[in-house]
Amino acid sequence: MSKSKEVTVGDSLAVKKTARLSPLGFFMALPPVLVILFFIGGPILLAFSFTLGFTTGPNEIVALIGQEIYTKTNWWGTLEAYKSVFSDSRFPGNLKATLEITFVATTLVIVLALGMAIYQRIIGGRLATILVALSLVPLFVPVVISAFAIRTFYDGTGFFKTIFYHFGLTFPTLTMTNNAVTIGVIWTSLPFAILMISSGLQSVPDALIETAQDAGAGFMRIIATVMIPLAFVPIVIATTFTAIGIMGSFTIPYFLGANQPTMLGVEISNFFGPYNRPQHSIVMAFVIFVAASGIGFFYIWANVRSAKQSGRI
Amino acid sequence: MSIAKDSVGLELIGLNKILGGRTIIENLDLSVKKGEMVSLLGPSGCGKTTTLRMIAGFLIPEAGKVILAGKDVTTLGPDKRPSAMVFQNYALWPHMTVFKNIAYPLKIRKLAKSEIEKRVHDALGLVNLMHHKDSRPSQISGGEQQRVALARALVQEPDILLLDEPLSNLDAKLRVKVREDIRDLQRRLGITTVIVTHDQDEALSISDRIAVMNDGRIEQFSTPQALYDEPATEYVANFIGSLNRFTGNFAEGRIQTGDNVVGIRPEDVLFSSHQVPGSHAATVDLVVPRGHFFEVYLSSNDQKIRAFMSADIPQVGDAGFVRISKALIYKDGKLVKVA
Amino acid sequence: MSHSANKLNIQTNSWLVRIFLSAFIGFMGLFILGPLFWLAIRAFVTEWTFPNLLPDGLTMRWWRVIADDGSLLEAIKNSLIISPIVVLISAAICLPAAYAFSRYEFLGRKTFLIGIFAANAFPKIGLFASIATLFYTLNLMGTILGIIIIQVLGTVIFMTWIPAAAFSAVPRNLEDAARDAGASKLRVFWDITLRLAMPGILVALVMSFLAAFDEAQGTYLVGVPTIYTMPTKMYALVLNYPVQISAVFSLLLAIPSVILISLARKQIIGGQLAEGFQIK
Ligand SMILES: Nc1ncnc2c1ncn2[C@@H]1O[C@H](COP(=O)(O)OP(=O)(O)OP(=O)(O)O)[C@@H](O)[C@H]1O
Ligand SMILES: [Mg+2]
Repeated sequence: MSKSKEVTVGDSLAVKKTARLSPLGFFMALPPVLVILFFIGGPILLAFSFTLGFTTGPNEIVALIGQEIYTKTNWWGTLEAYKSVFSDSRFPGNLKATLEITFVATTLVIVLALGMAIYQRIIGGRLATILVALSLVPLFVPVVISAFAIRTFYDGTGFFKTIFYHFGLTFPTLTMTNNAVTIGVIWTSLPFAILMISSGLQSVPDALIETAQDAGAGFMRIIATVMIPLAFVPIVIATTFTAIGIMGSFTIPYFLGANQPTMLGVEISNFFGPYNRPQHSIVMAFVIFVAASGIGFFYIWANVRSAKQSGRI
Repeated sequence: MSIAKDSVGLELIGLNKILGGRTIIENLDLSVKKGEMVSLLGPSGCGKTTTLRMIAGFLIPEAGKVILAGKDVTTLGPDKRPSAMVFQNYALWPHMTVFKNIAYPLKIRKLAKSEIEKRVHDALGLVNLMHHKDSRPSQISGGEQQRVALARALVQEPDILLLDEPLSNLDAKLRVKVREDIRDLQRRLGITTVIVTHDQDEALSISDRIAVMNDGRIEQFSTPQALYDEPATEYVANFIGSLNRFTGNFAEGRIQTGDNVVGIRPEDVLFSSHQVPGSHAATVDLVVPRGHFFEVYLSSNDQKIRAFMSADIPQVGDAGFVRISKALIYKDGKLVKVA
Repeated sequence: MSHSANKLNIQTNSWLVRIFLSAFIGFMGLFILGPLFWLAIRAFVTEWTFPNLLPDGLTMRWWRVIADDGSLLEAIKNSLIISPIVVLISAAICLPAAYAFSRYEFLGRKTFLIGIFAANAFPKIGLFASIATLFYTLNLMGTILGIIIIQVLGTVIFMTWIPAAAFSAVPRNLEDAARDAGASKLRVFWDITLRLAMPGILVALVMSFLAAFDEAQGTYLVGVPTIYTMPTKMYALVLNYPVQISAVFSLLLAIPSVILISLARKQIIGGQLAEGFQIK
């Protein structure tokens, strides 16, 4: 009855996959999933049907209250609401602003976070500690306050304006421009990215870095070939969450942004409330959702990849 | 071998365990006397831990019975059994002090505070750790953690003590010391003990009896001496100690052609410069110092054989005579004759 | 902030690097702390005329205005009542699930985990607009219950993921050892599992409380104009009151965050938060 090693290993892998399924576990995990299905999944589906012109049933009341509602003309609905949104002269500008701000701010946040985390991991010291501690401060501040504080800091009577005035210079008023929005979302997104990336880098064993050093790799090479690949999943998670968070943000652009073009988050709110065009509002929400799903795909892909590498799948 | 009922500490009858669709333990019987120390010895993956976990109650066998101190406990949970276990990496609770770790089983049993205090102190004294009473597990050394785990098990005054490779995380020197300590304590307290190990030295030096396991079965269950002198199967003979292994037959003091397996312990290979009855001419190929003895490679009539010698060590190239004082003959893996 | 990891011997600490780093820290200090101080000062000044370098005068008057304004107090009260309820409900719904995700294998486990993530990929503001549709139908607009539901939704991801990672990090043999010592399954959960997962759960509770307490978009959409919480009141304040009042209100609003995050600071920075965001 002697088995070869390979057979044993293969067996226990197969075993893992078909491990006893626990009905208890399933039911314990169900409540939050049901809450999400009912209050997020349901509304999203309803909203989707609403954008296609299904204006009866649960959608009846919004359809009644809202203006410029398109009602379905085919059995599957109508694309009139989408056409209306896409042909609105303001929409391309808003979409462009949203994507631009998301791209620029995410890039800056990740570069800053990576830089600080790598510096802290490899060189450390008091300055690095201060720097990272400083970057975590926004975590302590509710976003409404952040938005308001940044707004006053960069407005017409703001800090730089005041200082520059005394040197006979004029500092531009940033508040109510999309530069202020970029500053604001960087400010609020920095802590999560730093936490994620620095925790990922901390778990890269010293031995691996030292081996690379030993093999003659320089500073940049160690970063590029050892640290970043090994902390890849946390970096992807930081990037996707930052990008998704920025893309759907409302408070920061609402307080800091220009009137036109503005981020879609603000526009969604405007169309739903003041302009009373709920159907248009939700069409725009789906535009962001599609973009966010594309980003979310990377998050899931990175997680699956890391699970595969460590043999968990 | 029949044992009076009340002197049985642990009895496993026809145990079967299937894990992940694979039979891990197959029809396993084991009977441990009260106060006896028994080792489960075997290679990695042979089912030692699985057996121990069935005794402790973490696993319920598919078939068979577990009888502890005369009581059938086969289906009882671990909390309901009169057994206490020392885990491989000690499993001390990091959020409790040493004192609280040891007191926990007594707290569960709702003993009076003063009684708990007294018994924990006794246990701490037993393992020499009074001074670490208020330390956290993370603040003490591996050997000390091991002793805390032991104290936590002993304080329960279990009918049977189970140890899963309790020494594998200690360095070689400490391992020898702690195993003597464990043996000493076990003797003094007279507690029935089952210890899992894959280290044959450890098993041979501290057990009353050893159960050698292979692929979910017990190959042989006997005293260390018997195990060494008369290994019941070829597997055991190979697993315990060193062995010169030949295919053939043993006659007239040498290996002849045949289809049995002949096993010869290197200690039973005697080399000298004088010819005596039953010896054959041989030359020395290689001498390897092994600390307190030498391993000598000989060839005689085209056959290579190893000998362990501690005195009168020959030189490479020396000629002399080799005599086999004992040989084990196996047919189909089973011992058929000791010559 | 980690003192445990050894720093490596890589020599780049030349004076040039130090100067650059110091300048960078100065820049980051101004970038991050500047706006906060700039706002906070305003809670204590009478007026600040541009372009003076100093405020016109100091006063505590604005704090009294808040104390005397019933609607502002009402918002504070609402916030302090609603957020703890949200955290409790969220914990009741999510903690058992977190345990299940970490300890059981069941049909749809991965799908559930990814579903919880996907729910967060939909832009919040769009989601709230969609939920409003449902809330009209269910008569939840302008109700406390509606606000509670909205805020619970924002906490689910923290309350399942972070504790699930914390439960997974509890070694199984510590539980086995307690069982062996005679503890029942429930007792083991209470004494060992829960106790050891507590730092992670604490982080989840703090993050959830803050997510609920700071939630403004959905609460605004569902609650205003019937029910105001502190953050939604901020929207109104910014538009209708002098900046000093908003500054005072900001300071008040920041108090819970600062206290709670300071309490859980070690665990958050220690990786409990980061650990929770990896699907396992
Ligand atoms: N939960 C499980 N599901 C499936 N197979 C298991 C499970 N637990 C153990 N096994 C298998 O059972 C066999 C015996 O395992 P066991 O842990 O008893 O070995 P062991 O003798 O203690 O080995 P070691 O010396 O390495 O600790 C192994 O092949 C292992 O892969
Ligand atoms: Mg084992």
